[in-house]
Amino acid sequence: MEQSITLAGVTSQLLVGLSRAMILFIVSSGLSFILGVLRVPNVAHGSLYMIGAFVAHSVATAVGGVSGFWLALVLAPLTVAVISLIAERTLFCHLYEREHLMLLLFTFALMLILGDLTKITWGADYRSLTAPPFLQGSLSVLGTAFPRYNLFLLVVGPVVAVGLWLLTSKTMFGKIARAAAVDREMVGAIGVNVSWVFALAFVLGCLLAGLGGALVSPTVSITLGMDHTIIIETFLIVTIGGLGNIWGAMVGSLIFGITQSIGVLILPQFAIVFPYLAVVVILTLKPTGLLKSVW
Amino acid sequence: MKKREAFGSWLVLAAAAISVATMLVPGAVEARNIKVGIIDTYSGPAAVFGNDALNGFKMALEEINKQGVLGGKIEIVTRDDKFKVDIALNMAKELVLKENVDLLVGTVNSGVSLAVSDAVAKKEKIPFITWMGKSENITGKNGHRYVFSVTENTAMAGKAAANVLSKKPYKKYWVAGDDYEYGHALDESLWRYLKQAKPDVEVIGKTWWKLGEPDLIPYFTSIQAANPDAIHFCTGGASMANVLKTIKTTGISQKIPVYIHTAIDYAVLKPLGAEAPEGVMGTMDYLFYYPELSMNQKFVKEFQARFGVPPGFPAFHAYTTAHFIAEAYRQAGKIDTEKFIDALEGLKVDSPVGKVEMRACDHQAIFPILFGTTKISKEYGFAVATDIMTLRGVEVMPACGEIEAARKGQ
Repeated sequence: MEQSITLAGVTSQLLVGLSRAMILFIVSSGLSFILGVLRVPNVAHGSLYMIGAFVAHSVATAVGGVSGFWLALVLAPLTVAVISLIAERTLFCHLYEREHLMLLLFTFALMLILGDLTKITWGADYRSLTAPPFLQGSLSVLGTAFPRYNLFLLVVGPVVAVGLWLLTSKTMFGKIARAAAVDREMVGAIGVNVSWVFALAFVLGCLLAGLGGALVSPTVSITLGMDHTIIIETFLIVTIGGLGNIWGAMVGSLIFGITQSIGVLILPQFAIVFPYLAVVVILTLKPTGLLKSVW
Repeated sequence: MKKREAFGSWLVLAAAAISVATMLVPGAVEARNIKVGIIDTYSGPAAVFGNDALNGFKMALEEINKQGVLGGKIEIVTRDDKFKVDIALNMAKELVLKENVDLLVGTVNSGVSLAVSDAVAKKEKIPFITWMGKSENITGKNGHRYVFSVTENTAMAGKAAANVLSKKPYKKYWVAGDDYEYGHALDESLWRYLKQAKPDVEVIGKTWWKLGEPDLIPYFTSIQAANPDAIHFCTGGASMANVLKTIKTTGISQKIPVYIHTAIDYAVLKPLGAEAPEGVMGTMDYLFYYPELSMNQKFVKEFQARFGVPPGFPAFHAYTTAHFIAEAYRQAGKIDTEKFIDALEGLKVDSPVGKVEMRACDHQAIFPILFGTTKISKEYGFAVATDIMTLRGVEVMPACGEIEAARKGQ
């Protein structure tokens, strides 16, 4: 059952892989940012992504129409940001000095709690959100059909990446956050309120998870359990890219997204294996990840 | 400490008193009740189906119990199998050994249906009626005296679809679906009958993704690039929503005809609302809005009044199952398993879609299969099936000879 591999086929798979990588990048850059600045391996990051998708659905259906969709893309990340701010101020801020294993267990517990809260709030049924009409259907790219919505993702991804880069390298907050990542005591010593820097960094990271969830919702069905899949993928991405390095998250996402979509073209039944193979190869050759880890 | 011990012994005494009391009750009435043990999924995503079936069953029992069966009533005991085979088997054994149920019914998971049929019904000689297990093996090669099916199965779906699709001009098919038992069963049965009906069809490629794969777009774009004449998606349950959604997102069905068994199911299309893809071909054995028979309209109206939603196929199956059970006991004349089975074989009962017969040779209820195409309905606000063709049950079921051969090979 060999499928002939044509140039058009490869192009469309590459583009689909790239657009999938954009979602992965948005979510994993948030995870990476939190890892870099706060040193917290936040397992509950995937839950915030899931909540983002559910909120996006609720907002889009409540408001309805095209404006509902755009409003959902704005309100879902903000809702997630508020949830994460509450979590940070009440729970996380007391735990930064604990060892990583404790933090891992704590965030794992939080993932289970958020998962159940999602189930209580929205129920166990799957939900579906549809993109506005002009983002539906396919465009013809080199003779093969390419979904319009994925083209939209290809625009949004780089915009988020550049925005994040500007924020971390050109603003005061970004500079302080990066400084705190290197030496938090020193930053505290020069009179910066490190506690609030951490809170803002955490909220920013979680906001990206919420944005990723909102953006992905027109391409998948929104269900319980979407948190598990994404958290495994994003942790691997962050690891191969270099812990805490946002550009590393970009590189990791591209590798993950493209190996999977090309894998679908070559061996559909084992497509899921390709990104993990890439992870194994990269970690064998370069255990610290491709780009410089801040850890 | 002392106080707690005293309390414990009180509890034991109370439990003993209750059990003596319950033992006395059945002796007090002459005609006893028929006890039906229901094993189905009442938690997790599949609970939607389990609850729908339970509602249909309860509604039928209310009608039946007004009149009574052999002077008694039909009562139920339910157990949640959590969609898991091992849990279901424990529950089934417990229902048979401790609750002394007269028969077992269920289950949404075909794997559970097969396991209960093999390990409990056959072994303990307790009748088991599946109302949602769609694997053709239940009444096919794994069938036996104690198992019955009141649901359409993969063989019937495959044969019905092959019947319609073989008349269309498609030659090059692409097969794609969930990489598990049900997905592969759908592929095998359609292909078996399609190849028989139209020998020049060919499969130019297959794509199997992991069950629950969240993002199907890469798979769809690669199928689209191969440009087959038609696509057969082998999926069901929660994955079906994802497949339909990706069909809509990629617009694939506008270019390439798509067939999916149960794609026209109301339970699948309703949550998608006006956003379901149009033009998808599907098969189903029950649609609440079709056929427009007065019996069906009455059933739908009552169901809707009671539960607030129209009945899905599980409710229809369970409702029909209840009537099969009641009628078979009435004809058997007493509560006796062997007499019940003899009566059930070849029995015809009234259902919302007309008379349904329990085929004697394989214990498979004969349901017509409806073939239709999705279209958004202004009236309902979600997609429904249009251009519906009805394929008679006997036409789409494997012949008794085929069943016999399959069982001998086992």
